[in-house]
Amino acid sequence: MKALRVLLIAALLAACGKKEEPPPPPPPAIPVADFTVLATTDLKDAQPLEEMVLKATGVRLRFRYGGTMESTEAVLSGDAKADGAWFANAKYLLSSTQGQGRVKLQEKIMLSPIAVGVSESDAKRYGWDKPDLKLTWKDIASAAKAGKLNYALSNPATSNQGFMALMGVVAAASGKSEALAAADVDRSAIADFLKGYRLPGDNSTYLSEQFILQQGTRVNAFINYESWLLSLNASGKLREKLRLIYPYEGVSTADYPFMLLNDTRRADYVKVVDYLKSEPAQTWLARQTLRRPIRPEIAAKVDDLLPRQGLQVELPFSPDRALADGLIAAYLNEFRTPIASTFVLDTSGSMNGGGRRQQLIQALHYIAGADASLTGRIARLTQREKLWFLTFSDTVRRPQAFVVPAGKAAARGVAEQDDSEAMRQVLADVRDSADKLQMKGGTALYDAVYDALKLMLDERGKNPAYQYSVVAFTDGESNQGRTLEAFKRDYAALPEDVKAIPVFMVLFGEANEQALKDLVKITGGRVFDARKMPLYSVFKDIRAYQ
Amino acid sequence: MPMSASRRAAITVLLAGAFGGALWFALRGQKQDLIEQNDAAAAASMVPLQGVISLDVETFFKDPRVLKVLAAKRMPVNVVRVGSREMAGKVLAGGSANGAPDFFFPSGVVAANQVADAARKANIPAAQVSPFFTPMVIASWEPVAKILVANGMAKAMGPRVYGVDMAKLTQAMLAKTRWKDLKDAGAYEVGRSVLVSTTDLRRSNSGAMYLALTSQALTGDVVTDRATAQSTALKLAELFKRQGYQENYVNGNFDDYVAIGIGKTPMAFIYENQLVSYALAKKGVGEGMVLLYPLPTIVNKVVFVSMNERAKALGELLANDAELQGIAVEYGFRIADSDRFMSTVKPTGLAVEPRVTQVVDPPSFEIMAEMIDTVAKEMSQ
Repeated sequence: MKALRVLLIAALLAACGKKEEPPPPPPPAIPVADFTVLATTDLKDAQPLEEMVLKATGVRLRFRYGGTMESTEAVLSGDAKADGAWFANAKYLLSSTQGQGRVKLQEKIMLSPIAVGVSESDAKRYGWDKPDLKLTWKDIASAAKAGKLNYALSNPATSNQGFMALMGVVAAASGKSEALAAADVDRSAIADFLKGYRLPGDNSTYLSEQFILQQGTRVNAFINYESWLLSLNASGKLREKLRLIYPYEGVSTADYPFMLLNDTRRADYVKVVDYLKSEPAQTWLARQTLRRPIRPEIAAKVDDLLPRQGLQVELPFSPDRALADGLIAAYLNEFRTPIASTFVLDTSGSMNGGGRRQQLIQALHYIAGADASLTGRIARLTQREKLWFLTFSDTVRRPQAFVVPAGKAAARGVAEQDDSEAMRQVLADVRDSADKLQMKGGTALYDAVYDALKLMLDERGKNPAYQYSVVAFTDGESNQGRTLEAFKRDYAALPEDVKAIPVFMVLFGEANEQALKDLVKITGGRVFDARKMPLYSVFKDIRAYQ
Repeated sequence: MPMSASRRAAITVLLAGAFGGALWFALRGQKQDLIEQNDAAAAASMVPLQGVISLDVETFFKDPRVLKVLAAKRMPVNVVRVGSREMAGKVLAGGSANGAPDFFFPSGVVAANQVADAARKANIPAAQVSPFFTPMVIASWEPVAKILVANGMAKAMGPRVYGVDMAKLTQAMLAKTRWKDLKDAGAYEVGRSVLVSTTDLRRSNSGAMYLALTSQALTGDVVTDRATAQSTALKLAELFKRQGYQENYVNGNFDDYVAIGIGKTPMAFIYENQLVSYALAKKGVGEGMVLLYPLPTIVNKVVFVSMNERAKALGELLANDAELQGIAVEYGFRIADSDRFMSTVKPTGLAVEPRVTQVVDPPSFEIMAEMIDTVAKEMSQ
């Protein structure tokens, strides 16, 4: 009897125990989808947040970087391919109803005002080291005109810092307290300001590197977010520290809104934002990237890290698209140093393969097209631009010249103008010439690049007020004419001025990339792989160097 | 060999005893857990009410104490935050089985009326109740308030509490007065125009309330006819346009006021509960932060719009449950019991007006829509 009872209890326990068996090994972890974030390039220093966010929230954040205008365009057109976006300034995006529709939620994460960092010795010399200094953007433009201020700044057509600096100048020069319109813009103030624009570029990392090299020789100032200037000061790499000047009644503060684009990721978005606004993340951002915490009580705890602000009156952001578009167009078409370049076009037989001819024609149509989007107009030929086609196969042919006429300069204002009839004709000519390209014969690449450099050198002697470069489109297999060695020898014999003319290689097909890299090592410039990069990116990058 | 009857009986008893014993053992430690699990299961078996709410009440609905009260009352909720202006578009016939929200909790009367209007068109028996309220105020800074007092546009109503003459302030703004043009402007002698920053009225309720209030200030009365609505809104459009870019989410101008400060936002038109809840959460406010009460002002009723009987009961609970009312005060809202509001706010050091007595109503829903349309058209030009 007893045995039976024990047995029964054992059986019961076993039955119970069955439920308590260790659970089967968990199924192979389902990969958590990344939370992709399109971020402006000035946020590269915040990349360690990916790791921190994962640890704190389990959300796998992945940053992808782009310029402000390019990223704005991507979000506006619904092409961002990202769950979220994080911009230094999203006002351009959010001042259109289309942009508002794309952004489901937004939350500001931190702050950094744009400042003018001036080498301390020069700041002292000009009396700009006084605590009660009231230097306006108008004063800054005058100093640039007088040659006292030679600055580095990212491109006004592609970046927030460059654009807001230009806005600050025109707002201060207009004397209006608000609601600036395209028609009010004082054009001479823009011209004055841009006289000091010595070091252009496309992103803060590149500009910082160049600024370190050129401080004291070509440039004595850097216009950028306070966070980048303070980081440079702390890096110990500068010849001398920068004194930060916050333009009087013209400060523009980046407020870094973190935006939700993909509504189905709302829950993860909320987790990420809660973490980014938490004390550990805010303190990390302040200490490591020198941005100001959005939460005042945390800002108070780290105020030893950041300059005291006093009263900094903000520049109101004009949501007037006509003004913004007009300013960018005026900058590109009228105020920036005009571009002169020779396009070296490979018309060898190998270019018939793999759709390369079609790619080349597409590229030429792209720059001579009518794409008026934010990004299209940066890649596009601008007024005053000079362009030569230099085609080659076995031998190099004669160059064909195109000159885009200047527009009619308005006395005042920057209202955007339609392309003139003359400009449209030049663009059509460029497209026609592209369509007529015939591919046959060998590839005398080094001869062609050499001839192009000589052509640009001659032109530069005649008209130095242009920015010269060579852009070569090729599948890169040189088999005629000069060898690389011979090119090197002949290049060395050219006048020293040739060093100011970079060569950009745009690569198609299965080319010998290394040979092209060796070439640009000699000439300066860069290789762009048009098979891996969208054409827009290729041209935007080339523009940044032009 | 067949089992004897007695033996069979014995086994049955044994089995029952063993089973019961084992069960008793098994349950002894888990009894409490099970009871709680049963409770939770009961709550979970109740289909949560689906709510579409504005940012203003989001923290309230996330508060664990609120969730607990709602669970105890068998009214769990599932809320999603949406801009007040977009709520009317979410009204759906067919009930929750169809994915339609059970209730809406927008940030103000105008949006609530839009929701109710949409419900009427969809033949849904919507009901409204206003469980808490907050007056519209101007968050500002002591030096700025003193300049307004020196120029006859404001008066001190107590220590660090000011009343603003909206008619005079509106006139000064329309006259494009700059801060540095004012008498005794030393503390804020800047070239910017005197303007109150608002959120984008095309997207948020507080911007619309600012339009309502300035229209009253300009005409001296509540606008009731379309012609006056149009002409008044045309005149007032510049108060929005001249601000430049306006944030288009409800906390936008308040975030700038708190984080960037006087240099960007000398005056921000907000709901009183925004600064009060901030003060309660931080146990204080930043140096120099003061509230200006427009004379008269508009009291914003936070309106709960229910789409069915169950949701209606939830609305009544929010309005009448003492605990929920108390929690609402902690988020900066005023309730019928004004002493409770005052005693809650007092420790923060933020000075508030005990009783807001000079109050006007916003114009009717149709007139408001007319004015908002007019301003929106002007702004997109």
